[in-house]
Amino acid sequence: MRRQRLRWLTLFVAFGLVVAACGGDDDDESGGGDTEEADFEAVAIDESAQCGTEEYAGNLAGIEAVDELTVRFTLCNPDVAFPAKVAFSALGIFSAEQLEETGGAPIDAPIGTGPYKLEAWERGSQIVLTANEDYWGDAPAVPTVVFRWSAESAQRLVELQSGSVDGIDNVGTEDFPTVADDASLQLLERDPLNVFYLGFNVDKPPFDNEMLRQAIGYAIDRDRLIENFYPEGSQVADQFLPPGINMYEEGAEGFTYDPDRARDLLAQAGFADGVDLGALSYRAEPRPYLPQPPQVASDIRDQLAQVGITVTLDEQESGAFIDNANTGNLSMYMLGWGADFPDATNFWDFHFGEGASPQFGTGFPDLHEVLADAGSTTDEDERAELYAEANGLLFQHAQALPIAYGGSAVAFKAEVEGAHASPLSNEQFSAMSLEGADQLVWMQNGEPSGLYCADETDGEALRVCEQINESLLAYEVGGTEVVPSLAEDYESNDDLTEWTFTLREGVTFHDGSALDAGDVVESYRIQWDAADPLHVGRDGLFTYFEALFGGFLNPPPPEEG
Amino acid sequence: MAIEEIPLSEQAAAEIPVVTGGRQRGLWRDAFRQTLRKRSAKVGVVILALLLIMAVFAPLIAPYGEREVLIATEGLEPRTEPCIHVSVAWIPDVPVLRTVESFLESNGFSCPSDEPQHLMGLDGNARDVFSRIVYGARISLVAGIGAVTFAVVIGTVIGLISGFVGGRTDNAVMRVMDVLLAFPALLLAIAIVTARGPGLFNAVLAVSVVTIPVYARVVRSRVLSVREQDFVAADRALGVSNTRILGHRVLPNSLTPLVVQATLGVATAVLELAALSFVGLGGDPDQAEWGRMLALERNQLFSSPHLVFYPGLMIMLNVLAFNLIGDGLRDALDPRLNR
Amino acid sequence: MLRFTVRRLISSIPVLFGILLATFVIARVIPGDPCQAALQERATPDACADFNERYGFNDPMIVQFGGYVGDVLSGDLGESIRLRQPVTDLLVERLPVTLQLSLAALLIAVVVGVPLGVLAGTRHGSKTDVATIVGANLGVSIPVFVLGLILQYVFAKQLHGTPFELPPSGQLTAGTIPEPFYEVWGIGENTLFEFISNIDLVNAVLIWRWDIFFDALQHLILPALALATIPMAVIARMTRSSLLDVLGLDYVRTARAKGLRERIVIGRHALRNSLLPVVTIIGLSLGTLVGGAILTETIFNITGVGKTLFDAISGRDYFVVQGFTLVVAIGFVLINLITDIVYTFLDPKVRVS
Repeated sequence: MRRQRLRWLTLFVAFGLVVAACGGDDDDESGGGDTEEADFEAVAIDESAQCGTEEYAGNLAGIEAVDELTVRFTLCNPDVAFPAKVAFSALGIFSAEQLEETGGAPIDAPIGTGPYKLEAWERGSQIVLTANEDYWGDAPAVPTVVFRWSAESAQRLVELQSGSVDGIDNVGTEDFPTVADDASLQLLERDPLNVFYLGFNVDKPPFDNEMLRQAIGYAIDRDRLIENFYPEGSQVADQFLPPGINMYEEGAEGFTYDPDRARDLLAQAGFADGVDLGALSYRAEPRPYLPQPPQVASDIRDQLAQVGITVTLDEQESGAFIDNANTGNLSMYMLGWGADFPDATNFWDFHFGEGASPQFGTGFPDLHEVLADAGSTTDEDERAELYAEANGLLFQHAQALPIAYGGSAVAFKAEVEGAHASPLSNEQFSAMSLEGADQLVWMQNGEPSGLYCADETDGEALRVCEQINESLLAYEVGGTEVVPSLAEDYESNDDLTEWTFTLREGVTFHDGSALDAGDVVESYRIQWDAADPLHVGRDGLFTYFEALFGGFLNPPPPEEG
Repeated sequence: MAIEEIPLSEQAAAEIPVVTGGRQRGLWRDAFRQTLRKRSAKVGVVILALLLIMAVFAPLIAPYGEREVLIATEGLEPRTEPCIHVSVAWIPDVPVLRTVESFLESNGFSCPSDEPQHLMGLDGNARDVFSRIVYGARISLVAGIGAVTFAVVIGTVIGLISGFVGGRTDNAVMRVMDVLLAFPALLLAIAIVTARGPGLFNAVLAVSVVTIPVYARVVRSRVLSVREQDFVAADRALGVSNTRILGHRVLPNSLTPLVVQATLGVATAVLELAALSFVGLGGDPDQAEWGRMLALERNQLFSSPHLVFYPGLMIMLNVLAFNLIGDGLRDALDPRLNR
Repeated sequence: MLRFTVRRLISSIPVLFGILLATFVIARVIPGDPCQAALQERATPDACADFNERYGFNDPMIVQFGGYVGDVLSGDLGESIRLRQPVTDLLVERLPVTLQLSLAALLIAVVVGVPLGVLAGTRHGSKTDVATIVGANLGVSIPVFVLGLILQYVFAKQLHGTPFELPPSGQLTAGTIPEPFYEVWGIGENTLFEFISNIDLVNAVLIWRWDIFFDALQHLILPALALATIPMAVIARMTRSSLLDVLGLDYVRTARAKGLRERIVIGRHALRNSLLPVVTIIGLSLGTLVGGAILTETIFNITGVGKTLFDAISGRDYFVVQGFTLVVAIGFVLINLITDIVYTFLDPKVRVS
């Protein structure tokens, strides 16, 4: 009998263990470090024939490794913002060998050229980075940087106050004074490089009614929202572009709070007795552009009620919400945008350009046209004029109502030197030092899903990548100015369709191998060519590449029916 | 959570003596009298009565509306500290009292009478927390009792059929109940709400579904013991229909354990509903539901603890009331403890 | 006894099968296409067709279920759609965390709950008794998340700077990377070792790093305390009423009549028997602790089974939901089984029948 029971127990335990076992042991050490440097081969990819064809929506026409340290990009159409784009961290340069070895998915153990290298990623608890001793730039002052995360601002603050972390991201709105008044801490505000807006899908009645949308525009008291639900440093939005971005129009005409006018417009739109607009959708996750979503949603509901508009709050799970917005399923929703790279196109084209998602319904051709012109105009004044025109069109169509530029802040212990907040949320820890400490602990909102940032869109992942990987160019520490990075220098032809980058000499990857033009070409190519066997990534979307350059080579066949 | 199911085990339920017809009412009257004699149960009844008064007369008690935003009307800010008027006009102007008053005022326990009174402060939308707490009693009570009622009804039907039909049906039904019980209740509830979409009704339904097996088991074990009794055999011999036996013999005899279990069940249901709201799967985001109120102000734990404290306290009181009453009822009805 | 055990085992087979079915269904009734969730704006019909083909979502349900059962039996739980990691890897990583937390909570619950119950039971009607009842009632009534927040407030904020300060979140101090014991010992790596090394406390002892041990312990106290409260209250209550039951029985009266000292009456005769039902409660508690872990882990920022499951449900990560619920449910059935068997060992009445 005893044996019988034992056998059964063993079986169960064995089952449990089998369930727990399987899979796992395939995380080979990647990048041997002793790979022989092959002689440099000139590579040239020329796809200019694809430009403007039906299949290819992209703007990149060719990449060429001219010699060991020279890379040349050719474009179908001029792009003023090209340097700002190549500085973005989704275009970080990987070693061609590692991309090959990991099958195009260096998710767990990225090898870069940056000031820090990945020491350990203990999933669920922390990411540990150690200083790259062979770094080409100034050696980082703190030997170890640890990333931790917590979704709750209260928890982040307590961790900082109790001294177990040295810096935190996104101080809670109500905690600004607490941090500012604490002599042992420093509060560093981020310039608001984002916009919070109320969006409508103009295909869904009654939102196809322009006057109704405008009425809502006049019904919202932006000052009240900023005053009550936003931290210091936030501003009322008068246009879609935040002030820190080029092409911001001083004194643009936007909506102001005017409830009488809202009621008039409502009556003209045929809703004199008020109207029930159904769901106001949002997600509860705080973002720099919207630090207190449920509270703001409640207050907008209350404000709209005062002019006779009824809405019901519809709080959705974050992923489902983005999904629904992108597929045009939401008729009225609260969303925002934070700058990836500091250029007007990053705000305008993504939302209102010809190829934008149906989040606002079918677009407005007049706006498409203006934006297309603005994107390819090289003359600054002409460009500014076109964007002013775009502002006017958005004000008229009102498919998105810009409401706020949300301020946010990071906090550090007072003794952290070089602490800074970056408007692009890409704080550089190599620029910080902490007297007498051998590690600096940073607590952000969430854990990255993967560390191959070509295929990540989440700022939580990008910030980690930005310590490990570098792009051809970079943004200045704590600012938005484009500065040299892996490329020492660059130049373009007169019509801005050909860009040549000269790489820095003597840069090595963390595994000791040297950086050359081939690595650059390969890093771009596998993102660019959707049919490439290495075009894998974490989920294979390469969202940013598509957003930055318009499209992939050999894109998956378009929808049928 | 599921642990709550244990206080009245199936075994205990089966041991409760079987009674017939007329004695039922007397037994209940005794039980209630006995329950009320216990001090802890009295406390429970008092709390519950207060909650009921809050719920029924909410519009009279609450100085403001459930969703009334006070930003514009009074120039108040979100998350203003509680303001309690200690000095009222009719207090005689005695120096001692004035001293006490100014002491309280300077220590944050009170505020000048020219400022509007908010007993529990304002929430993140500058809504009066006290008013919302009062309205919250409605939701909490209705949802908790509703969830349990539904579970009891369905569970009873399943238990009756399973126990009375017996054989394979019984076996199959009980295995299904075992499967349901194998999942942590909260996890199952989260899965159900996610599947059906967040909302108060769905949350209630989820909390309800996960507790069905408990009631089904209790009723079934009662059925099994009643079925063997002489008077049922006599009924059968007299040709009384099964439905009648079920309705007149089995059901009344299952009431005792059911009532005890259900009272304790309300406590569990309230806890679980609050937990669902806390993870963002509760009802209308604007509704004055205690779990939701707490979740919304969770990040103010260190800066405005009162916003977290009051809803938490209310959830606890609500659960406590049902636990105390349920305990008392069980002690009164469970013969093993009648010494 | 043997027959009982065998019968009990056989009766859990359909339940296990039911659990397989239930986990499969739970993962699939969550609305939202996994393809939509994973590919988002790129979820064109074609891309989704490929995606669904890869994960087998195009097959008829019955084939999918068959495949699932087959995979589970061969120990394959699929791959996380979001993290691109095998579900079993995630389990090896996160199950130990929850196990450690639950066991710590259970330990607190038993170590505090049983003596309290005994104390209250032996001094029936005394102040201790009343205090225990009141405490137990408060204990079962306080929501885990409220208690968790209160503990954080008191121990991280109010007691900040005192020796009683405790960390409000996480499992270890940042930057601490404990070496797995199998690497220190220079023995081979396998799943079981990996699993054990992920139990921080055990690993710290195995590599003889008491600093890490105490660090892990400090991080464990608050969440374990929050999680322990309800079972502690239930156990105390159960012990008390069960002891009262037994104290009223004839043999105890006889023992007392014989003039045995009260301590011996209780210690030798009453306690043993009165602890029987408590064993059941303890077993059941361990299972339900996992449910409580969902909230506790969220509040204390601990990446265990509960938090992973919650994230997976909201992120439509089918295979993680499926695999994790499966393991949790099987664990629960297993614990019930063991409890039942232990019970029959202890209880002469059951043994005879």
